[in-house]
Parts: sequence; C-alpha cells; structure tokens
Amino acid sequence: MVDFSLWDIVRNLLLAARWTVGLSLVAFIGGGVVGMLLLMLRLGKLPGVGPVVAAYVQVFQGIPLLVQLFLAYYGLGLFGINTSPWVAAGLGLTLYASAFLTEIWRGCVEAIPRGQWEASESLALNFYEQLRYVILPQAIKIAVPPTVGFLVQVIKGTALASVIGFMELTKVGKTIANATFSPFLVFSCVAILYFVLCYPISLYAKHLERRIHVHR
Amino acid sequence: MSIVEITGLRKSFGSNEVLKGIDLQVAPGEVIAIIGKSGSGKSTLLRCINGLEEFQSGSLTVDGKPLLHHNAAAMRELRQHVGMVFQSFNLFPHLTVGKNITLAPGLVKKTDKAANEAQARKLLERVGLAEKFDAYGEQLSGGQQQRVAIARALAMQPAVLLCDEITSALDPELVGEVLRVVESLADEGMTLLMVTHEMNFARKVADRVVFMHQGLVHEVGAPADLFANPQTPELKQFLSALHD
Repeated sequence: MVDFSLWDIVRNLLLAARWTVGLSLVAFIGGGVVGMLLLMLRLGKLPGVGPVVAAYVQVFQGIPLLVQLFLAYYGLGLFGINTSPWVAAGLGLTLYASAFLTEIWRGCVEAIPRGQWEASESLALNFYEQLRYVILPQAIKIAVPPTVGFLVQVIKGTALASVIGFMELTKVGKTIANATFSPFLVFSCVAILYFVLCYPISLYAKHLERRIHVHR
Repeated sequence: MSIVEITGLRKSFGSNEVLKGIDLQVAPGEVIAIIGKSGSGKSTLLRCINGLEEFQSGSLTVDGKPLLHHNAAAMRELRQHVGMVFQSFNLFPHLTVGKNITLAPGLVKKTDKAANEAQARKLLERVGLAEKFDAYGEQLSGGQQQRVAIARALAMQPAVLLCDEITSALDPELVGEVLRVVESLADEGMTLLMVTHEMNFARKVADRVVFMHQGLVHEVGAPADLFANPQTPELKQFLSALHD
C-alpha cells in the first residue's frame, strides 16, 4: 500500500479541483452562449422555432445529467468520432446548462411588463433594438441571481463526469480512496472542497438577490 | 385629404369580433375623442392605428401610407408618424428621463446626439419638467411620468398622436396637469385621437366626438351636438349613466 499523508491527499485533490473548475467554466460559458442563442430564437417570432426550442429544453431537463453524459460519450463514439472524456463531458454539460439557462432567462424576459414591448414598438424600434436597449437591460438585472445560483448546480454536476473517466475532483477522490483504503477521510476532503467552491457563489447569489430587492 | 383613413376595419380576438367594420376619417389637426363603454372596442381601434393590434380585414392608411402588418420596414416608417401614449405610462425604468426621450430618435432617425438632447430638453420644458432630465421614472409622480411619456412620443415628431386613456391611472389631483399638456398640443395643431373618460375635457378640446358601441362607430358629431342632443338610445344611456 502506498503511504499517503493527509497533505498528499489534499494536494492531489486540489490539483484535481482545477479540472472541476475548468470543466465548470467550459460548461457555464458554453451553456451561456448556446442558451443565449436559444433564447433569441425563442423570442424571435419565427414560425415553428419556438416549439423546437421548447422541446430541446424539455428533453435536456427531462433526462438525468448522468445519462446525458453517457449518451454524449458513447454516442459520439458511435458516429466514429474519437471522444476524449473532456470533449464528451464538455459537450454534455454545455447542452445541459444551455437548456436550463435559456429557460431561466426566458422567465426573466417574460417578467418584463408587456407595456415595455409595446412602448418601444410604438417608438418604431425594431426587434433587435427592443431587446438590446429596452428588454434585456431590465431582464439581466433580475437574471443575475438565478444565473449565479445555477453555476452552483453546474459545479456539482461536473462530479458526474467522473463516470466517463474524466479526472476531476470526484474521480481523483475515488482513485485515492482505493489506494489509501480510507474512503471516508478522502471523500470528506472532497466534500469540503466542493463546499468551498460552491458556498461563496451561493452567498454571492443571495447578496445579489437582496441588492435587487432593495432597488425595486 | 385625411391624415388617418380607416375603412371597413374588422378585428377579432379568436372568435370574438371586437371591431365590426369601422369607418373613420381624420383630418390633419383634428382632435378626436373616442368615448364608449369598456369593451366597445375603442382601445383596440386606437391600437390598430399604430399596428399594435393586427386587424383581419379593411384598410387603414396614415399620411397616405397603408398599414402593412408583415412588412417590417413599412411598419417602422408608419410608427415614426404615429406616436402613442399609454394608460400605464410605460416609461423605460432603467433609463433616465432624458434617455427615455432620446433613445428612439437616436436609433430610428439617427439624429445626432447633441441635437437629440437639445430637442429632449425643449420637449421637457414644454411639458413643464425641464429640471427632470436626469431623473428616473420611479422618482416622479404619475402625472409627471405621463408628461414624460408625452414628450417621449413627441420626440419622434409624429403627425398623429394616439392617447389611450392616459389619465385613467392617475390620482384625481394629477389629471389636470396632463390634460393641460394635451390641450396645448391640440391648440398647436397636433392631430390627436384620444380614448377618454374625461367628458368635460372631450367637450372642451375635441373637434369631433366618436361614440363607439359594440365594435361599431355608433354616433359621431361635434361635442356640442353630441353631448347636448344624442340621437341614439345607446348614447343617451351612456351619457346619463355618467351623471349618476
């Protein structure tokens, strides 16, 4: 048996946490970009597009993230694309995050009173100008807290990427646990690291929420 | 020539027909007050004129240009000629009063910034709010917000101004300041179509009063005739109900 000191455990987990953070950022930024595009498609009144986006959202919200990751990993392989766990996990989490973010943001846009659309329309603004100068600036204000809150879900979601062999925090924790035969100690450390990542973000989201309510 | 010309206009919400063939011609500079019970279609008619509502049949021209609902360029052109003021003000809360007024001319008419701002200040002065340029809507009273909304609509230099029950959301003591602004516009020759419950104001300012009933123009006339001598039982009933 390899002799691991507590510092060895923590050090290796910290190194692995970089990949958790990296994957979270990829998923969050990728999901944000795709989610914003989907939102535009949904808000633009092109016939037939809205229901397709709605179906997309339902599909990704209705399937466990774990299964989505399996599908991304093995599905891409099926098409002859040689997937690394990185690509599969990045893709799976991006799709997952985009579905949730587009839905969160749609709710925020819908919270803007219809009168704002009508007034800007009456002033001859086109759809893009309405969104850019009137609707989105107001919607973004209310979207920030739930969006930041969702980042916590994404970070915790990356743990599932361990099942397709992605060496992030959970996967490395499992490996170390197997080597040291002290799973409780190791996973306690893993838990603490996740908490240290997520808790400040949750606090920040709460803080933002309070700030918005004060300004109302 | 009429500036607004409406012929055979019909509009349904689903199976519910709310406008059943409206004919109305408005001359330049004319002030029209549209009265009637709620549900008579008067707000819907007003909203058809700037394309906020789509109608199913009939025709509508403003300044000689037909309203083409699915032609974005034509609608953008038309809306520059038709201003609208809403019951609920609908100021943009994230922008200052000044930005509320300069936004659309800057984007749509591409007026340069300095000229645009000068115009906004002049319009604010005209509605008696010169010192509010940098304020936000939430810092203003309802009457002040509505006057800003009027200035915002005027900044596009519309040929026609539509006013949709613009004093109905105001506390009684604030109604007067808004109506005075509208009256001054009428005096300066602005073409106005207003849906209103302020009968005294309609009597005083309007050139013609249009009484709508069940989706039709039921009676039209000069305010003196129409109020003093209503021809139809529906209008008689409507007017007497007001006095109760």
